[in-house]
Amino acid sequence: MGLERTEELSLNMGPQHPSMHGVFRMVVTFDGEVITKIEPKVGYLHRGLEKLAESRTYTQFIPYTDRLDYLSAPHNNMAYVQTVEKLMGVQLPERAEYLRVIFAELARIASHLVFIASTALDMAGWTAWTYCFRDRERILDLFEMSAGSRLTVNAMRIGGFSRDVPPEFWPALKSFLDDLPDMMEEYFGIFYGNEIVMARLKSVGILPKELAENLSITGPVLRASGVQYDVRKAEPYGIYDRFDFEVPVRYGCDSYDRTLLRLDEIKESAKILRQAMRDIPEGPVTAKVSKIIKPPAGEVYHRVENPKGELGFYIVSDGSPKPARVRIRSGTFINIQMLPIVALGWKIQDLIAIFATLDAVLGEVDK
Amino acid sequence: MGNKEILRQRAEELAAKVNGEVEEQNGVLVLKVKGAYLSETLSTAKSFPDVPCDFLHDLTALDLKDHFEVVYQLSSLHGPQRLRVKGTVDREHPVVNSVTRLWRGANFLEREAYDMFGIEFKGHPNLKRIYLWDDFEGYPLRKDYVTESLEERSVVLPLKKGE
Repeated sequence: MGLERTEELSLNMGPQHPSMHGVFRMVVTFDGEVITKIEPKVGYLHRGLEKLAESRTYTQFIPYTDRLDYLSAPHNNMAYVQTVEKLMGVQLPERAEYLRVIFAELARIASHLVFIASTALDMAGWTAWTYCFRDRERILDLFEMSAGSRLTVNAMRIGGFSRDVPPEFWPALKSFLDDLPDMMEEYFGIFYGNEIVMARLKSVGILPKELAENLSITGPVLRASGVQYDVRKAEPYGIYDRFDFEVPVRYGCDSYDRTLLRLDEIKESAKILRQAMRDIPEGPVTAKVSKIIKPPAGEVYHRVENPKGELGFYIVSDGSPKPARVRIRSGTFINIQMLPIVALGWKIQDLIAIFATLDAVLGEVDK
Repeated sequence: MGNKEILRQRAEELAAKVNGEVEEQNGVLVLKVKGAYLSETLSTAKSFPDVPCDFLHDLTALDLKDHFEVVYQLSSLHGPQRLRVKGTVDREHPVVNSVTRLWRGANFLEREAYDMFGIEFKGHPNLKRIYLWDDFEGYPLRKDYVTESLEERSVVLPLKKGE
């Protein structure tokens, strides 16, 4: 006598679906309502950036990095230009270092706001979405007044910054930071404290610590599984060792903690921004580097803490003006490997919730 | 003895065992071995006493014209140690052992290296192309891969008379 079961149902989720955050596709197999197998399919947005880099000069590749994780473009710029600077041994002016930190932390807040917004939207919470986007707008305005563009900022150059920020940047930044605690109170009220959100996220999609380490998970997803690891502390890049901030960590390992951790990170970013605003010196924003960038032959692997995970660039130079190999280690590409393991046994609405807490941006996943 | 000296000592002991060599590149220790010794090297590095390199950051490959190198960036979440392991593989039959048994996170990374360089990872649970479609010909990140010119790639047909 065999076990009685329903017929297996295989369902294509994506690539065109609002909950897929871009063009991600999963082939999900169900037994009744319960997920028995997930096969993620990526590559719909693959642009071959690693191949493109080999036919561009070092400077020409900077705008391409904006298109990796387009919700936090300054991080991608920073990771790339710092790798090239490490290869060349360039010393940056102080003001440029501070500006980089300010841009990076603003981008982290903007990216986490989109995370809260899109997670709320995946739980069918429209209002939280509008609140977060209202506040993110002020960060994008800051980018616009200093670099000219809002999303693909492209403000960093090898050896510093494209130009200094205008004088009206500082009061706008200060008023944003002053309003931030009130904004976070609002997010807490409308999203985190919401009963439906708690019911949908609490103890859903448990990612144990050992599994997370074995799966090479990085970023907030790792920290929500109880590992206090942040590249800014473990291997400080730029001038991050000068700032006083905590690395938030949570031990719940579930979707709700992964969501809550982002709010903790916004608080810490605001702390760094206040210190950077206080300490930033006057001076030039560009170091003297030659017009033609020709790093000596060698190789460097450099990583930064992207809002979504660890972003690493591995550049191999052969001494010519074009890189021999540019390897992009994107955090979410590796983080989505947890989906087929963690989401087994849950139902389809939980899969949406678990995928939302990964905060995948397909520009970064597909490269 | 500092962390780095211990790591250097452990890496040199390992290198002597697997016939490899240790060098330093921009402050990071690089351990170069033959492709056949990769699984032994990596499993030993993962459980180095005092300085375990137990976190796999990245796995990729390099095309050095006459051979390939498979590159593993290792470190630890609990210490400052960092190690880069490189395994040389032959260009004609690029086969190395999969490390998915050591790190489950290597799954996608190995599929990507297979997709872009055609390196076969023996023992991988599901070695298929990841970014490109299944019947794509060639391996794009190899240096001898010829990209078609802009004219060939263009799908805009020339206007005919009377159109």
